[in-house]
Order: sequence, then structure tokens, then C-alpha cells
Amino acid sequence: MTATTTITPPEQRRGQAARARDWFASGGLKDRATLLLGLIVLLLVVMGILDGVGLTSGQFNSDYLASTLIAYVPLALLALAELFVITSGRGGIDLSVGSMVSLTGIVFAMLYQQAGLPLAIAVVLAVLFGALLGAINGFLTAYLGYPALITTLATFYAYRSIALVVSEQRPISGPEISQFYNAAKAVELPVIGGTLPLVPLGVFTFLLPVAIVAWFVLNRTSYGRKLYAIGTNDTAAQWAGIDTRRTRMMAYVTAGAIAGLVGVYTVAQFASARPDAGTSGSGMALPAITIAVLGGVAITGGIGRLSGILLAALLIVWLNASILLVVPGNEGAQAQLLALGLVLLGASLLSNATIRRRQRGLSKPLSVPGTAAGSTR
Amino acid sequence: MTTDTAAPVRSAQLSLRRILPPIVTGQEIVLLAVLVVLWVVLGIFTPAFLTPGSIGPLLVQVAPIALIGVGMTFVIITAGIDVSVAAMIMVSAVTTARMLVAFDIPAILAVLVAVVIGSALGALNGLLIAYGRVHPIIITFGTANLFQWLGLRVFDSSTVNGIPSTLEFFGRGGAGSTFGVPHSFAIAVLAVAAAWWFLRYAKAGRNLYAIGGNQNAARLAGIKVQPRLVWVYVITGALAGLAACMVIATGTATLDQSVGSGKELQVIAAVVIGGTSILGGRGSVVGTLLGAILVQTVVSGVTQLGWPTQLGFLFVGIFILIAVGTDLIRERTRRRA
Repeated sequence: MTATTTITPPEQRRGQAARARDWFASGGLKDRATLLLGLIVLLLVVMGILDGVGLTSGQFNSDYLASTLIAYVPLALLALAELFVITSGRGGIDLSVGSMVSLTGIVFAMLYQQAGLPLAIAVVLAVLFGALLGAINGFLTAYLGYPALITTLATFYAYRSIALVVSEQRPISGPEISQFYNAAKAVELPVIGGTLPLVPLGVFTFLLPVAIVAWFVLNRTSYGRKLYAIGTNDTAAQWAGIDTRRTRMMAYVTAGAIAGLVGVYTVAQFASARPDAGTSGSGMALPAITIAVLGGVAITGGIGRLSGILLAALLIVWLNASILLVVPGNEGAQAQLLALGLVLLGASLLSNATIRRRQRGLSKPLSVPGTAAGSTR
Repeated sequence: MTTDTAAPVRSAQLSLRRILPPIVTGQEIVLLAVLVVLWVVLGIFTPAFLTPGSIGPLLVQVAPIALIGVGMTFVIITAGIDVSVAAMIMVSAVTTARMLVAFDIPAILAVLVAVVIGSALGALNGLLIAYGRVHPIIITFGTANLFQWLGLRVFDSSTVNGIPSTLEFFGRGGAGSTFGVPHSFAIAVLAVAAAWWFLRYAKAGRNLYAIGGNQNAARLAGIKVQPRLVWVYVITGALAGLAACMVIATGTATLDQSVGSGKELQVIAAVVIGGTSILGGRGSVVGTLLGAILVQTVVSGVTQLGWPTQLGFLFVGIFILIAVGTDLIRERTRRRA
């Protein structure tokens, strides 16, 4: 009796210490959500102090933060599209999401404004059209064996070109589309709205439903399990009886459908369908991939969670908004690039270092000599 | 091109010849045929196409793509990728342009400045990729943002105006070509020739294929993987710097902030159309040169036919799929045989 009581406490303590060590060691990837949440809190605290001291050029408050969420919706949705594609493994990546946004936006505007279809039907058709574009990516990649980088580079050019040619490089606008702007603007929530800041409606009409469905699909359906399986080990998944090609193709179809929805959203956001909505400047694909990686999606596939995506996108959007308050004008917009680059490099180098440390420290007997991630001289 | 110059017959050389691929690969022959067909068809439909006044500017536009394509071929052979080349062009171009405006530096110094800046940026890429061991696409996405910020800071105001014509040696005008051959294109061809020799016969060049084929096997075979990788990205940066000089020379006296934008994807398109495997371990710079010419021909040809300019990029996309598709089929039959 006494023996057991004297032995257990140190073991428990060691167990807790080890658990704490594990928690820190895996902090980069496994608990990416915690890391991102910490960074968001840090950002808010720092900005709160700067605001209090009076170093900001504008009011840093919940209304301002809520109003920036209008940029959060497309960013988070496209990063979610990349989550599906990158997690499917075998070098999965989608460079064409920006072009798909442009093209489906144009198609939606044509259906809704020029053909005069009812809104619901036009939205559904636009999303289906996005899914079709994604299906082309998926068929080429999953069934014909093209590397995803090649497929989506080619379709990036193709879709962008079609969007610009079909619209004759002119934005499509009109009374119906102007009205549709209401779908994206800020609203007061019913019942509890009085005490909360105005949140852009797009968060509830576009992001929230997609996020709930995506969470359910990824975590509670056999398709989600299959997706993680083919991303982790394609050959093993095949031997386990999974139709890897079909599963991989569906990841690209999903990404296309989400991009189609973002296409509809950008039409509402800008109150017109711009043929270069998703491709102007450096495009929408690069930030989306950046946020996916920042959110803990492993570029080698098989790892990635919805919470990481949502938090990483929130961090970037609020970081950008904060920079604009501290660094005014043109310099602020430039500093956003610096911040995005530094955060991405920092997060990826950090998470890679923790993976390697964990592999070296914890699973020595299991590690296969000469595996890609554990290569130390 | 068709004669093998390995005169002293030694056993090492014999085994080397057995390992080396044929001097001209199937992909290059196909590309050349497509290019000839395309030029003939364009020549028939638009008589102005096959004239020196049309081919010259086309080759001038091919030069920066082909030049960076050499570095990008090295990078992709090592199973890497570099999406930051557009941002590297921007930083090199704007710094060089501002120095030209402010100090009126001679051409040779301007080229040196651009190449040194490009190399420094490439070195940052290389060090992070080789020693950070993060996937190159992530690192170069990150550094692309950093470089873009740097370039915009150097821009200061919105544009750089009144650039002197110091770099006309690379330009489109009369000073930019000798006997009708644009200097910039000649430099690109020289770079391709040097890289072709390097990849085929130099030990360091063969090492790149080994690294791309299997990095761990290469390391176990005694190849210093990390230093080699750093150099590959430094070379790409240096060539992006040189290409930036050509971009300044072919532009007007004003440089705006969109300089270089979109070039990274054009370069990658040229490399993969040229038959270099995006998975690493296989590729040729001659194919890259042909790929760059093909891309530019398609884009220029569409304009000359009077079609919407943007339609050209649809064909670029289709060409990427066809080129890689034929390569996939050939690879599959080779494996079956």
C-alpha cells in the first residue's frame, strides 16, 4: 500500500512532464490550432496596447475586426479547397482556383444578369460549373496520371483565358447584380445583434454552411477517412480496397465547387463580375496555398484540419487589417506582403523542425533509415 | 550536335555513355516538329509572320524566359521548384533601373548589379531549402512575398521614370542585334549550350539528376546534396538578374510595379513543355529553349492572327497538357518494354 503510493507520484509527474514536452515538441503540427490561436491573441493584445497608447491611425475595435471579415470569407474558403486537394497526396496542389473563381463568377453573372435565371438556380448552376472545372483537373490528375502541378498550371492558363475572352475583358454588372451586393454586406444579427458588432452576411451565408459540411465530410464520413488514407500512403490505401482514383478526383471536384461558390461571392462583394477577379495581381491561389500551409496542411498529403485553416485565415486577415492601422497608406499594403512571407516561412520551418525532432527523439526504433523526413547526416 | 566527341576510349567513359540519354530525346524532336508546323501554318495565314521584322522581336521576348528556364530546369531536375523568379526579376530590375537613373552607371556595372542582387536572393532561397528542408514550393512562395515587398520598397513611388538607354545592347532596336540575331537571344542560346554540356558531362551536373532521382541515395553515394542545391538556386537567381536587364532593355523608359509579374508560370510552362519531369531526375535544357520558343510563338501568333490576345494562354495550357501527356505515354511504354 505504502509502496504504491510512494511510487506513483514521480511517475505521474514524469508522465505529465513528458506529456508537456510532447505537447511542445508537436506544437508545430499537431496542435497547430493552439499555436495559431495564441498568435491571434498575441496580435489582439499588441494591437490593443498600441491602440491604447495612440499609435494607430484608426480605431482598433471589434467593429473594425468584424468588418474585415468580408475579406476573410473567400480566403478561408479557397484555403479549404486547397486542404482537400493537398491532403489527397501525390503532390496534390491546385494553382487554378483563382482562374476558376474568375470563370464561375462570369458564368454566374451571365446566368443571373443576362439570362435572367432565378438567383437560387443561378448559384447552383455556378457551383456545378465550378465542380465541372474541378472534375477536369481531377480526371487529368487522378485517372490520367498528370502531376497536379502540371494539370492545374495548364488549367490556370486555360480557365483564365476563357474567362477573359468570353467576357471580352469587361466586367459584367447590372441592376440584379447590384442588388445582390446585399448578400455580402454587414448585417446585425437577429436577437443578440444589438450587443455584437456588425458581421458581414457572407460569413453566415457562404462560409459557415461550407465549413460545417466540410467538417462533417472530413471527420465523420468514410470519404473523409479515405481522403486522409490516400494522402498518407497511396499504395497502402489501394491494398486496403479504396478506390484511390475516384477519391482523389472527388477532392478536385470539391475544390472546384468551393471555388465556384467563391466566384459567386466575389460577384456579390464587388457588385460586378470581374473577369480577373481571381487572377489579378499575384492571384488568389498563392494566398490560399499559403494559408493552407500555415494552417498545418502538410504539403506531402494526409495531414490537415479544418480548424487550422479557419484560424490561419483569421490570423492573416486580422494581421493585414492591423498592419493597415499601424503603417498607413501604400507602405501598409506593402508590409502585408512582408508579414505574409515571414509568417509562412516561420511556420513551415518551425513545424518541420518539430517533426524532425519528434522523429529523432520518440520513434527511434520505428524510423526507417533514409526516409525523406528523417534524413539526418 | 550529332557527333559524339568522346575520343579517348576508357572504361569509365564507356559506362558513362551507356548511362547517358541519347543526345537528342524524343520530346525535343516532337517539339521541333510542332514548332516547324506552327511556323509554317502561321507563315501561310499571316504572311508578315515569317519576316525578320516579326521573328526578331519574338526571339527577344523568348530570351528572358529561356534564360531563367535554364536555371529552372536545374531546379526542377533536382525535384524542386522556384515560384519566386518573378519577384526576383522585379527586385533586380527596379534596383538596376534606379541606379541607372540616379548614377548613370555603365552597362557592364548595371548587369553586374542585377546579377549580384539576383544571386543574393537565390542564395536565400537555396539556403532555406537545403538546410531548412521544407518543400521548395512553400519556401519560394514565402520568399516571393518577401522579395515583392523588397521590390516595392525600392520602387518608392509608383514608377521609375526616365531610364537611360544604357542597356540597349539587349534591346529590340538596331543596337540590340548583330547580323539580325538579337544579342539577348544569342546569350540565352549560349547559356543553354553551356548548361547542356554541364548537365551531360560535368560531374556536378550529373549529380543534379542523382539528387532529383533519389535524394537519400544521392547522399549515400557521397554527393554533397545541400551545397549542390544552394548553387542551383543561386544560378537561377543570377539568371533572373540577367533576365531583368533584358526586361529593362525591351521596355520603355518607364518601369512600373507589375514588372516580371506572371513570368514564373511562363518559365515553368516552358520547362515542362520541354520535357523536364516535374518529379525530378529527368530533363533537358534544349527542350526548355524549344518550349520557351513554342510558348512565345503561340502567344504572338494568336495576336497576329487577329484573335483576342488572351486566347493565346488557352493554347499554352493545352500545349502543356499535350507535351506532358506524350511524355507520360512514352514513359509508360518504356516501363512496359
